[in-house]
Amino acid sequence: MKKTKWSLVALLLSVLLVLAACSGGDEEPTTEEPEETSTEDTTDGEPAGEDSGSLFEVAVTNEGEAIEGGTLQVAMVKDEPFQGIFNWELYEDGYDADLMEWMTNSLFEVDENFMITDEGIATLEVDQENNKATVKIREDVKWSDGEPLTIEDVILPYHIIGHKDYTGVRYDTAFQNIIGAEEYHAGTAETISGLKQIDDYTLEISFKQLSPSIFYGGDGLWTYAAPAHQIADIPVGELVESDAVRKNPVSLGAFKIDKIVPGESVSFVKNENYWKGVPKLDGVVVKVVPSSSISVAIESGDYDIVQSFNATKMPEIENLENISILGRPELYYSYLGFKLGKFDTVENKVVTDMEGSKMGNQQLRQAMGYALDIEQVSEVFYNNLRERANSLIPPVFEAFYDEELAGYTYDPEKAMALLDEAGYEDVDGDGFREDPNGEPLEIKLASMSSDATQEEIIAFYLQNWADVGLNVTLTTGRLIEFNAFYDMVEADDPEIDIYMGAWGTGTNPSPSGLYGEADPFNYSRYTSEELETTVRAIDSPEAFDTEYRADQFKAFQQHIEEVANIIPMQFRYEIMPVNKRVKNFSFDYADEYTSHLHELELVAEEPVAN
Amino acid sequence: MWKTIVRRFLIMIPQLFVLSVIIFVLAKFMPGDPFTGLISPQTDPARIAELTEKAGLNDPWHIQYMRWIGNAFQGDLGLSYTYKRDVADLIGERALNTFWLSLLSVFILYLIAIPLGILAGRYQNSRLDKTIVLYSFVTYAIPTFVLGLIFLFLFGYKLEWFPTSGSVDIKYEAGTLRYYWDKFYHILLPSFTYAVLGTTGIIQYLRSEIIDAKTMDYVRTARSKGIPMRKVYSKHIFRNSLLPIAAFLGFTITGLLGGSIFVETIFGYPGMGQLFVSSISSRDYSVITALVMLFGFLALLGSLLSDIIMSIVDPRIRIE
Amino acid sequence: MAKKNKKTGNNNYVNSPPTGLQVIFREFMKDKLAMFSLILLVVVILGIFVWAWLGIDQQQLLRVSLRDKFAEPGEKFLLGADQGGKDIVGQIIVGARNSMLIAIAITLITGVFGVAVGLICGYFGGWIDNLFMRIIDFFITIPQLMLIIVFITVVPKYTVGAFILIMSLFLWTGTARLVRSKALSESRRDYVQASKTLGTNDFVIITREILPNLSSIIIVEMTLNFAGNVGIETGLSYLGFGLPQSTPSLGTLVASANNPLVLQQYWWSWLPAALFILLMMLGINYVGQALRRAADSRQRLG
Repeated sequence: MKKTKWSLVALLLSVLLVLAACSGGDEEPTTEEPEETSTEDTTDGEPAGEDSGSLFEVAVTNEGEAIEGGTLQVAMVKDEPFQGIFNWELYEDGYDADLMEWMTNSLFEVDENFMITDEGIATLEVDQENNKATVKIREDVKWSDGEPLTIEDVILPYHIIGHKDYTGVRYDTAFQNIIGAEEYHAGTAETISGLKQIDDYTLEISFKQLSPSIFYGGDGLWTYAAPAHQIADIPVGELVESDAVRKNPVSLGAFKIDKIVPGESVSFVKNENYWKGVPKLDGVVVKVVPSSSISVAIESGDYDIVQSFNATKMPEIENLENISILGRPELYYSYLGFKLGKFDTVENKVVTDMEGSKMGNQQLRQAMGYALDIEQVSEVFYNNLRERANSLIPPVFEAFYDEELAGYTYDPEKAMALLDEAGYEDVDGDGFREDPNGEPLEIKLASMSSDATQEEIIAFYLQNWADVGLNVTLTTGRLIEFNAFYDMVEADDPEIDIYMGAWGTGTNPSPSGLYGEADPFNYSRYTSEELETTVRAIDSPEAFDTEYRADQFKAFQQHIEEVANIIPMQFRYEIMPVNKRVKNFSFDYADEYTSHLHELELVAEEPVAN
Repeated sequence: MWKTIVRRFLIMIPQLFVLSVIIFVLAKFMPGDPFTGLISPQTDPARIAELTEKAGLNDPWHIQYMRWIGNAFQGDLGLSYTYKRDVADLIGERALNTFWLSLLSVFILYLIAIPLGILAGRYQNSRLDKTIVLYSFVTYAIPTFVLGLIFLFLFGYKLEWFPTSGSVDIKYEAGTLRYYWDKFYHILLPSFTYAVLGTTGIIQYLRSEIIDAKTMDYVRTARSKGIPMRKVYSKHIFRNSLLPIAAFLGFTITGLLGGSIFVETIFGYPGMGQLFVSSISSRDYSVITALVMLFGFLALLGSLLSDIIMSIVDPRIRIE
Repeated sequence: MAKKNKKTGNNNYVNSPPTGLQVIFREFMKDKLAMFSLILLVVVILGIFVWAWLGIDQQQLLRVSLRDKFAEPGEKFLLGADQGGKDIVGQIIVGARNSMLIAIAITLITGVFGVAVGLICGYFGGWIDNLFMRIIDFFITIPQLMLIIVFITVVPKYTVGAFILIMSLFLWTGTARLVRSKALSESRRDYVQASKTLGTNDFVIITREILPNLSSIIIVEMTLNFAGNVGIETGLSYLGFGLPQSTPSLGTLVASANNPLVLQQYWWSWLPAALFILLMMLGINYVGQALRRAADSRQRLG
């Protein structure tokens, strides 16, 4: 009996040890010093921005003789299956867009400012005075099945999006800018009258009003062609479920679909008819890989390039020798918003009420910005893959970004001084400041939940505010799930005083839609004559003059900085691990790999393992 | 017996009905809707409002429910908001994956649990018994995902014995033998993970059944007739003790469906459990409702199946 | 062995209820492992509550210190720090207390409710029994995990209290079924029938006569339930439906292993919590086994 007992204890221990060994022990540690970055003494002040610009290479050239053909192995980091809607008019999920990049080709190429150039399949000519644009396509372009590209293929997407049975989000006010789009949508016209076929290769589009957005593919202009010979006869309502969209779409890109395992992987083969030339690779295989195992997969050399790699996982791969990590600034900013009014759903406009809002005091808002140690968060949790933002325009937009803006850098002294000045003082000695009338001040923050890191970061921010004497608590007592968050923020829930959100700007960073008087997405509910004038000016006909537009953009950024209804928090970097086997790969916006897919090459038969 | 089976089926109807109302109402109470996720600076709020209205999401819930149940009776479960596909097709595709995974899991589970349970009961209080009991406790206490992740990293990535995600490698032509083998290969590790952790109930049950059986009269009679103990075990005790295991089938099915949520998430296996979790966050109502209903139906079916099997193998038990 | 059992059974027969405790005591004396587990459990649980109450300033504990992100075990932190630079030891203690409280609360709520329903159904039978049995059937067959997840998404304020209620809503049925079947056979016994004919109040019969006779089974059942409820939030935390950060719990700690780097290199942030849950469950289970043997004469050791 006694003996049994001890052997049991021993067994138990050994089981546990085995478990521990599996999880920790037999990992050969490759210089794991993840704490290294955090022990570095970085004094606050300098925004981390400057050096992180050179943190990453944007392109990689691996030496070596390229092999003949070969198949590129691509991982797409995603925890659930992809949706598999391979059509630019109908897709909704960004992952489907990533998949389509391999097999499709936009009609237009863009330059480093994301403006349409003459290099692509089609050229764009804009007649500002008459609100007309002319799209002209090359004559020798073929679809992946060998059929020639015609102007019908360029017109078809408009008739899909505008159709009454179309269920996507792209039938919007911008699309209605095309003359005749609304009549077609209502069913009172057979076609969109603003679309005029000049000849087999030329289309003229008439708009109600043109703005500089057209050069970024906005204002209702559509930048993709649809294979009319394949899908024109399929009713629009049935299109999304058809095989032509799900299984065997005909496309214009460097590769074409060979096989699909629904939701899991897609294998592409080279498109012999590609207009830029026959691709050097034989094919591409894209697989969905769960985020929990992607780092190990990269280490084992399972993939050549990895899309949608989350920056918080950087420490897991930064010491690997079999990959290069490319990075580029993302078209994104996160921000802290202050609720300063309501949205009047009857009049459909923002009603700002500075006096009546808890956050109505400008110095209070500014102090809250200065109190946040975003610099430390960027460094410790994001390895400077995120940096303190100073503006609502990401720096990638060089022409419009105002680099002179000071922004709100971490400065608790200044925050406290501002609060003292504004009359927010701790009257009752509980460690938290009261408002100027001596009433207790509890500020409620709504923030979205994501991973465990997010929980820590928000806790840290609350601490930052407590350190300057502000009592900030979480709306609902915890982080709020994405859907509920936007529901509450949009409804101007009284439980929300401030909120933390983020926007992906797309390639046209115009603030219209987000900061205008009539915009429901103007969540801070702040508007003023000055702001409204600027926002309108940015997309006005005068703004065809780029210098004028840039000035208006700067005025917009300065105004927001001064009012501080929105305090920019972070810009972020997008990274892409690339295996050493890939020759010539660029992640630069101006020269992205997606426009050179046919030139990709490999230098080894298999991806390199670590 | 046929009569009772039919009756049991009829009883299912009100149960499923209640379940459908509960899940439908709850789903509608979740904040946000399927279009919340589409918001970007480029989307037009007016278009979102139009789509919401078109989808009928602004109607009161009972009207939406009536519409849904009406369609459901005609076999139309609606369209997935996220995948833009017929819910029935979508789930059908995933259900097949989950089905194979579950089948193999049950097989391995019984393969492990039955011998262990028998041994534990046969050699009650021996060192072997204690070890088996310890094993069953330990596996009960380990969360599925911890063991799943450890297995994944150890056998998947370190030793490279098993594939690490998906249901089949794209390089194999559908329909070939190699293709099916690859499918099997993909579910082996997930099934094993589930099976290792799911044995507790069966081991405990079998063990105490056998211990009980030892004191039963028929065993004593057999012993007194001079039949060797080994034969008594194989001829009498095991057979009698194994029968009630059939009763576990229903519970095993319910457990598997719950467990699939974890196993499929860890192993990136596109089955129903994973579909459920992602549908919750995208507020894909039609899929959520359909999945809960399907799981509920399967569980009911499982328990009915158990009862039928029981009454077949043990004539003393008649299902009422 | 069978003979032995019979003997003890006969002895007990003379003065029925009090010997339950004696049997339990004897069972524990025979099984050193159970004894050891029991003592350990009492010490650990008391220790945790006292330590968490006296020795830990929760606000200080939850203070994020980014510079200490995943600090290794050592002088500053005995068991290292987690992602937010928060002490693991402190979190395990507070987390264990929270998880224990959650487990106790769920066990008690489901226990009390389950026993009440079981007794009523078993004693009265008839339509009440029928009604509740249908409800229980329903609960057993519905996909619980799914509904729990949906419930969690729906509740406007997801707190520990809400969590306990949601879990309890789904977990009472097992106890109810068990108690019902025992109460059913008990209420057919002569002594109950006798009381009935004497005109004793139903409530008195249930609480004074049937309940004491079922007490050993109920204790066993609740002990085993308790074991199952320790760390019950672990799986949900992994799926992203766990308790908020401001409430440290063992489950949240274990769920941080959902990341290869943490799983392998920063083992200290999850492994101790996982081991703790494991040991607690083992201990409780061994105690529960001993109790069960005490309640079931055929399996008794002595």
